[in-house]
Amino acid sequence: MAVSEPIMRRMRAKPSIRMVASLSMAVLVTLMVVSSTFAQSSMGADQAAQPKLPGERAMPGEAGGPYPDPLEPFNSAVFNFNIDVDQWVVTPVAKGYSYVMPVQGRQSVANFFRNIGVIPRFANNLFQLHPYNAANELARFGINSTLGVAGLFDVADSWFGMKQHNDDFGLTLGHYGIYSGPYVMLPFLGPSTVRDTVGLVVDGCMNPMSWLLPWYVTVPADVGSAAINAVNYRSLHPNQFEEADRYAVDLYGAVQDAYMQTRTAELKRVAQ
Amino acid sequence: MRGNYRSASIFRTGQHQRIAFTPLWTLLSVFTGAMLALMVVQAAAPLSAWALPTPLDTVNQVINQSLPVLRDKHTPVPQRRRQLRGLLERHFDFPDMARITLGYHWRELKPAQRDQFTELFTAFIENAYLSKIQDYSGQDVAVLGQNSEGAGFTRVSSQIIQPGKAPIKVDYLLRELDGDWKIYDVTVDAISIVANYRNQFNRVINDQGFDKLMADMRAKQQQLQASMGS
Repeated sequence: MAVSEPIMRRMRAKPSIRMVASLSMAVLVTLMVVSSTFAQSSMGADQAAQPKLPGERAMPGEAGGPYPDPLEPFNSAVFNFNIDVDQWVVTPVAKGYSYVMPVQGRQSVANFFRNIGVIPRFANNLFQLHPYNAANELARFGINSTLGVAGLFDVADSWFGMKQHNDDFGLTLGHYGIYSGPYVMLPFLGPSTVRDTVGLVVDGCMNPMSWLLPWYVTVPADVGSAAINAVNYRSLHPNQFEEADRYAVDLYGAVQDAYMQTRTAELKRVAQ
Repeated sequence: MRGNYRSASIFRTGQHQRIAFTPLWTLLSVFTGAMLALMVVQAAAPLSAWALPTPLDTVNQVINQSLPVLRDKHTPVPQRRRQLRGLLERHFDFPDMARITLGYHWRELKPAQRDQFTELFTAFIENAYLSKIQDYSGQDVAVLGQNSEGAGFTRVSSQIIQPGKAPIKVDYLLRELDGDWKIYDVTVDAISIVANYRNQFNRVINDQGFDKLMADMRAKQQQLQASMGS
């Protein structure tokens, strides 16, 4: 039958999925072993010996801190590449796109992409044992897809006050104590850590289309939709990069710290 | 004697005597009760409630005094900046902020370098804050409350209300200095400004040295100054 053939072809293509899955498992096991031995890297070996002045130890309520960055040469190169892609490709396209599309339309596109990304949010809320939030995500999807015209309008929030509970597999891993691993700058996707990259891969595998359709359909479709989402997001936040650059003495460090602090705050949020 | 006064069972003695509710007695008992209540309240409330400013006072002052200046479109911008600069210097603890942002590098600096850095850092942060004047478009700020972070340290939460969008959470960390509460960190949407600069400065000092950090910061501060002058 025409329907079962793509599924049969998909199941024959299983070895590549097996490879991805085993690679993710290897990375995960490594991280679990590492987290069982130490939780946080120290700033330097000589710091532990001397007593600390005020300002060296964390002031009450302080957050963040210098982060271990063993992959720094790679991260720097990818960071510069990302900036170039943003400056020469994404921003011009976003400018033209925002000229053509009114801001409400662009907001609707953003809502659409947020809506179809419900499965990782639902699954991870369940994994972290927040059944109410998981059911809330499912209900939001149902309401927005019907009343909200295929997710273009977030009526679940504006009419019923049902807030979105963001979640991903990286947060689930962190919630259960997996060490974050070194900071990694991903090409096109931006800042991440080793744990969060594994989370991205796992969340990507939750897309049902990738199990039903052959890879030469889903990969271009995923890349295309990610590109549209990126251009749309950039058009909704035109000054974000320029703002960060204006106030940062070291832009790489600013982005790194902003990402790590945001993830720490997210972990605290899902721990409640 | 029985008559037209009501009896109060709580004052009933063994001999079934009843105390008369004469107007004078009522007045005296109410007055005593009020005095007792006031004394209890005064003892329970911290002395600083009436004597010294609280952290909430400081944050409220910063916000209530800066919002009118930000909203005032008639006064020329340089004058508004001078007013805001005065506010910042009164309520922000810049020496502490400068020291925290350098972290363990602070002990490696000579006193002259420390003074230089503190001065430059103060100017940089002030310029960064003041250059945001043009971005302000009349949003309201709601101060939510305070939480103690230990003896002499407090966190005050507030929100910038943006119509149609989610509010921006802004937290202030204050410490007590000579009876006055001063701000030593601002956290915008979970990102602490001081920690962010600490990461940046740590990277620059480790990779290129303290002098390069001063040069870069001076360049950025002058860029901000130039963009404000235009």
